[in-house]
Amino acid sequence: MEWQNVDIREALRQAIDEEIARDPHVLILGEEVAKYNGAYKVTKGLLDKWGPMRVIDTPISENGFAGLAIGAAMTGLRPIVEFMSWNFSFVAADQLISNAAKMHYMSGGRYHVPIVFRGCNGAAAQVSCQHSHCVEAIYGNLPGWVIISPSNAYDAKGLLKSAIRFNNPVLFLENELQYNDKMDIPSDEYTIEIGKAKVVQEGKHATLISYSRMLKFCTLAAKELAKRGIETEIIDLRTIKPLDIATVAASVRKTHRVVLVEEGHMYAGISAELGFQIMQHCFDSLDTPIERVCQRETPMPYSKVLESESIPNTERILAALEKVL
Amino acid sequence: MALVKMEPKGQIHFFSYDRQKIIEEIGKAQLLMLLDQMLLIRNLEVRGEAAYQQGKVGGFFHSYIGQEAIQTGCVAAAGKRHWYTATYRCHGLALLLGATPEEIMAELYGKETGNVKGRGGSMHLFTDRMLGGLAIVGSHVPIATGAGFSIKYLKQNDLASFCFMGDGAIAQGAVHESLNLASLWNLPCIYVIENNHWGMGTAVERAIAVSPIAEHFAHSYEIDPYTVDGMDVLACYALFKEVLKKVLQTSRPVLIEAITDRFRGHSISDPGLYRSKEDLQKAMERDPIELFKKVLIETRMLSESEFEDRDCQQREKVVAAMKFAEESPWPNPVTLEEGVFAP
Repeated sequence: MEWQNVDIREALRQAIDEEIARDPHVLILGEEVAKYNGAYKVTKGLLDKWGPMRVIDTPISENGFAGLAIGAAMTGLRPIVEFMSWNFSFVAADQLISNAAKMHYMSGGRYHVPIVFRGCNGAAAQVSCQHSHCVEAIYGNLPGWVIISPSNAYDAKGLLKSAIRFNNPVLFLENELQYNDKMDIPSDEYTIEIGKAKVVQEGKHATLISYSRMLKFCTLAAKELAKRGIETEIIDLRTIKPLDIATVAASVRKTHRVVLVEEGHMYAGISAELGFQIMQHCFDSLDTPIERVCQRETPMPYSKVLESESIPNTERILAALEKVL
Repeated sequence: MALVKMEPKGQIHFFSYDRQKIIEEIGKAQLLMLLDQMLLIRNLEVRGEAAYQQGKVGGFFHSYIGQEAIQTGCVAAAGKRHWYTATYRCHGLALLLGATPEEIMAELYGKETGNVKGRGGSMHLFTDRMLGGLAIVGSHVPIATGAGFSIKYLKQNDLASFCFMGDGAIAQGAVHESLNLASLWNLPCIYVIENNHWGMGTAVERAIAVSPIAEHFAHSYEIDPYTVDGMDVLACYALFKEVLKKVLQTSRPVLIEAITDRFRGHSISDPGLYRSKEDLQKAMERDPIELFKKVLIETRMLSESEFEDRDCQQREKVVAAMKFAEESPWPNPVTLEEGVFAP
């Protein structure tokens, strides 16, 4: 097999480019996606290649263009909507929640909404209170869509391609701080099945579960413990909703100890759901209470000292692991 | 100090048409069909309300009584092949686009045989060309704009996207974002404000800073406005015929304001206490069915007794639909979680 060394940005770009080539109904729209080549350059070169009907700049009008894209999806197209940041999706929350998520059910199966909403999720470098949200718990509460959050270039490309081909709304959460992360991925086309978690490191003493950028800190914490001979199993959820509870449960039954790491807030968060499902499925296998490491319960502060204290970090993950071990 | 200015508002320029010419153009058979459709809508709403009062229908119920001429004229003039999007006041449009009285009544009853299998109820009716029945005020307007986008993208040059909204929706950002996008991208969207003067219990002049609405806002987005007498089905027919032709030629959106009135409260639970009896009575003097009946009698296409017969026929259809709904099975709870996702 041929391999290529690409960053997440390029992996996403390839996914969009290949799917636009594959299906004439696929298009991408959003703020600055065309002439500016994308606020984070994910759509670089696509306007030149595909022209202004397939790669479309929108005004700063999230509620309008998100709704427009949902209407287009209902009437035969397969739009990809880029939110420059998922924080801006709140302006379009009515379209996402009232229309995209409910349409298939509400119309008695008459209309489906094949659409992908994608963009940066979570904190970046000191972008402060209004630009650092993690949206997965907020949207995860609602039935009617899939939520994906990849942590590396291989998953980003394969999962985005699957998301574009999926016949229902997908919320695809990227991370600005990870766009430059490189790895080898196949040069040939591939897709990754939605809804499958991945064991990224095997271990027998404890299970660490996370997704997206927080996996980095999990890996660092696991390395630290490995120095003392403690083997930590690490699971990348990849798809947040639906949860791959089977993969999670198999690990918990092996290690009996669990730490959940979530960049977003604790209250009613993804780890709250995950922890509950682990309790339901693995109650008798748990040797200690589940621990979770989440964002502190404040809006994201600006100062880098405060910001780094707010987000889960290696030290806090290690402390949680110490508690369960 | 009153919060709302009560200065005189702008002058309305009503769409004018040659009635005699339109009557000849439509012809007797279709004119009587238009009457039947309006009578069917009226009867379905009246019986639906009755069923609601008997506890057969739950949730919200927004009646289209008083506004029938607008959508009836529109669908007759434009045909059913276009995309249509409506608000929660959607029973009439669904009927006009081919949903049967049976499936609508069964949906109101929450039965398995309902228009959307008992999932949506009164506010969420759909057909092959009707994108809802969407019930967040203004929120459906970007959806209709997206249908206009698809038409343009797919080069379906004989289609337009019709979007009906109430006057209350004009205060919503989604409407203005849609008008901006449709104008910016030359989308074949026909936006219709059905101004029935009330956003729930708030009079339009207490909610919208300009009047007439379409004539003001359309110019802001460089699109053409129209104001039409929404009680005159022939005026509506003539207007939609003309407007559709223009939109298909230019692929430019238009904004129409149909001045109308609802003869019921906002929804069935609204006794309309904010409105004087005299005001309502005055509005009902311009009942669109009565006005149309008068025209048909004047032109000798209809007699009073023939009108009664036709009304009776439509009533019987609705009564049969109620029987169908009554006898239909409830949705099987086993199917509750089916249909959240498309295959």
